[in-house]
Amino acid sequence: MSHQTGVSDESGELLTQLRDSVRQVIEGTGLLGAEDHIWKPSVELGWLLNAVPEELDGLGLGNTGTHAIHLELGKGLSGAPYLPATLAIDALCQSTLSDKSSWLERLTGGELVTAPLADGDLTLDDSQNLDGTLTAVQSADIASHVLAWTNNAEQLLIIALDQSGLEWQERKTWDETRRFYDVNLNALPLAKQTRLAQGSQAKDIVTRLLAQRDFALAADAVGGATALLAMTVDHLQTRVQFRRPLAMFQALKHRCADMKALTAASEAMLFDALHSAAPEQKATAAKHLACTSFAKVAEESLQLHGGIGMAAEHPCHLFLKRALLNVHLGRGGDMYEQLIAEAFLTGT
Amino acid sequence: MTAETETLRAETRAWLSRNTPAEWRQAMTNAEQERFVEVQKDWFGKLVEAGYATPHWPEGWPGGGRSLAEQKVIFEEVARADAPRLILYFVALYHAACTLFECGSDAQRDKYLPGILKGEIWCQGFSEPNAGSDLASLKTRAERKGDKYIINGQKTWSTMAQYADRCLLLARTDKSGVPQAGLTYLLLDMKSKGVSVRPISQITGDDEFAEIFFDDVEVSIDDRVGEEGAGWAVAQATLASERGLTLVELTQRMRYGLSMLAQTMKDQQRTSDSAILRDLGALIPKVDAACALADQYLQKRISDTEQAGDASIVKLYYAQTLREFVALGQRISGLEGQYHAGFMRGATQETGNWTLDFMNSYNWSIAGGSNEIQRNIIAERMLGMPREPKNWQLAEGQS
Ligand SMILES: Cc1cc2nc3c(=O)[nH]c(=O)nc-3n(C[C@H](O)[C@H](O)[C@H](O)COP(=O)(O)OP(=O)(O)OC[C@H]3O[C@@H](n4cnc5c(N)ncnc54)[C@H](O)[C@@H]3O)c2cc1C
Repeated sequence: MSHQTGVSDESGELLTQLRDSVRQVIEGTGLLGAEDHIWKPSVELGWLLNAVPEELDGLGLGNTGTHAIHLELGKGLSGAPYLPATLAIDALCQSTLSDKSSWLERLTGGELVTAPLADGDLTLDDSQNLDGTLTAVQSADIASHVLAWTNNAEQLLIIALDQSGLEWQERKTWDETRRFYDVNLNALPLAKQTRLAQGSQAKDIVTRLLAQRDFALAADAVGGATALLAMTVDHLQTRVQFRRPLAMFQALKHRCADMKALTAASEAMLFDALHSAAPEQKATAAKHLACTSFAKVAEESLQLHGGIGMAAEHPCHLFLKRALLNVHLGRGGDMYEQLIAEAFLTGT
Repeated sequence: MTAETETLRAETRAWLSRNTPAEWRQAMTNAEQERFVEVQKDWFGKLVEAGYATPHWPEGWPGGGRSLAEQKVIFEEVARADAPRLILYFVALYHAACTLFECGSDAQRDKYLPGILKGEIWCQGFSEPNAGSDLASLKTRAERKGDKYIINGQKTWSTMAQYADRCLLLARTDKSGVPQAGLTYLLLDMKSKGVSVRPISQITGDDEFAEIFFDDVEVSIDDRVGEEGAGWAVAQATLASERGLTLVELTQRMRYGLSMLAQTMKDQQRTSDSAILRDLGALIPKVDAACALADQYLQKRISDTEQAGDASIVKLYYAQTLREFVALGQRISGLEGQYHAGFMRGATQETGNWTLDFMNSYNWSIAGGSNEIQRNIIAERMLGMPREPKNWQLAEGQS
């Protein structure tokens, strides 16, 4: 066992290979690589298999593998719907669906089942029909289905996107790096949907999914902050004013040092949470810290770039917009602090 | 957590519940020095005997050779039991011991480490009135005479120097060349002729630190750590232990301190004040992250993968988070927190006496290299940013 990764050396090696393969793809496409330039390799290079247990023919790398990939994708501001895809695959693996393996084959083979990246509103009425809206559903236009759960988490479903009673529409965000949709459900019969779980089993899986989503967003934010800080330091090293590189000014160095500490702390916390005995309990804290730190790094970075930071041609703003959006994904940015504090007070 | 660490946890917890001095906080509030020393000595002796004082020492030394997981368990449990902090032995257990492990000779380790375990108190003599952040500019002289050094000069802000048996002394053996190159690291007996100590009273009412004056004090060359002129590098080992290693324990203390915040919220009937809840919710992940950073740092030390600046990140983040922590407590405690409650000896910054804690939190943003100095180190050594230009001339008459 190597303590650093908390995984056996064999899977440690697998992890390194996986991370390298993501890096290669990202380097090839550059920042903001076209969505399908990253989505295709995530299928072809087996990234989608990483969290699938070995007994279901996956790599069995669990959280560690997912974290590593999300982090690398975050560095490249990837637009590929890797995050929702892994949520759907994880939900499937946890379910007791009878034709689970044929579904898994489809999903790891490139058919996209997407998922909402923010909390929506879905209810089941007395006549067993589904009503409501799923929000921040990524890349719904190229997906066949969407993963969904009711507000009370008692129904966990895979819902086909091409059925009557269901409409989706693009919701353009300031963040240009990802594409989000609202999915509206209007009296959709429950009986016609694919049910992954219900009752307490569904509740358990949804709790797990919310944590996975938080961890994924946290890793994305750590990746984004890491790449952006490096870009900002580079800029300060090369930009000359007052006959010296800006990087020589202590006022700026100290702000970079603070950004480094924020990023290192978010990463350490995420890593620690992923390897703790009860990761789910630490997911909200990891998400909140990583996303608010990324937003802080992005806010500072734009300032330190000066005028060029406000030019659309420069990637600075892409990081800022993604960072600001990340804060509000998941459980809703403004909810986290309260959730964390209440959970803590209940425990004392 | 493995079964073994859980067994260790259960053992440690049971031991602590039997042995932690009862009511020590009350006893240490505005305590006389003698009483403070007595409680510290007694508690230190018990911890040493049980092997809980030195989990960070290497294999082969009493209590040492613990894995990261085991060290964490011990420090977590000590924090959980709300046991007094070994402030009187802090420099002995960390600075002195870690410097000797890293840079000392076998003879020095054999001579001094058993003494530390028996309760010898050490202090750190680095800072001087004119050499704080710019430590390398220090002027205390060590002149070689035969097999001795003769020390003359003054140190200041030396924590617990008034109680100390020995001192980690950084002194100048050479004035020529770059300042760093002329420093030598010595182990000085505080009972030697020519040493005098004057405690400095602090903003808290306590007097934790002191000035030390040296008047022709003799130190044997056997008590030099590393070569003559290599003192700067040895001092870095001391500082790395101070900046990074000590924080494994102190971050755990801060985590348990969160329950004091919860208590203050209850006392002040603020548990459903959502503005306070949100600040608490913003703070908790930072406290967790400070713990995670300290653990990660320790793991790097164990696996020998530490890099320049790693300790600075831990210390900077801890110091900033600690300030936020005490500021929140201070804010919630309201007017109640403003009433003078005296100082508490041997406590950390988590006494629940929030204005006192607020003042004490500056320990971590000033001592051991201020936040600004840590930021310089991170920017220059980790991010590769350039140093300040050095060609500044002081005005006539300034020195
Ligand atoms: C509670 C406490 C315990 C201590 N214990 C010990 C001890 O046991 N042994 C010991 O040797 N020393 C000890 N010290 C001393 C401590 O190491 C020094 O106080 C510290 O290094 C700062 O030096 P200074 O006080 O001279 O401040 P200065 O160096 O004068 O700094 C004043 C301010 O200027 C800033 N500053 C200085 N240089 C720079 C720079 N290059 N760039 C940007 N900002 C800068 C500092 O950050 C600070 O904010 C202790 C201090 C405290 C507060």
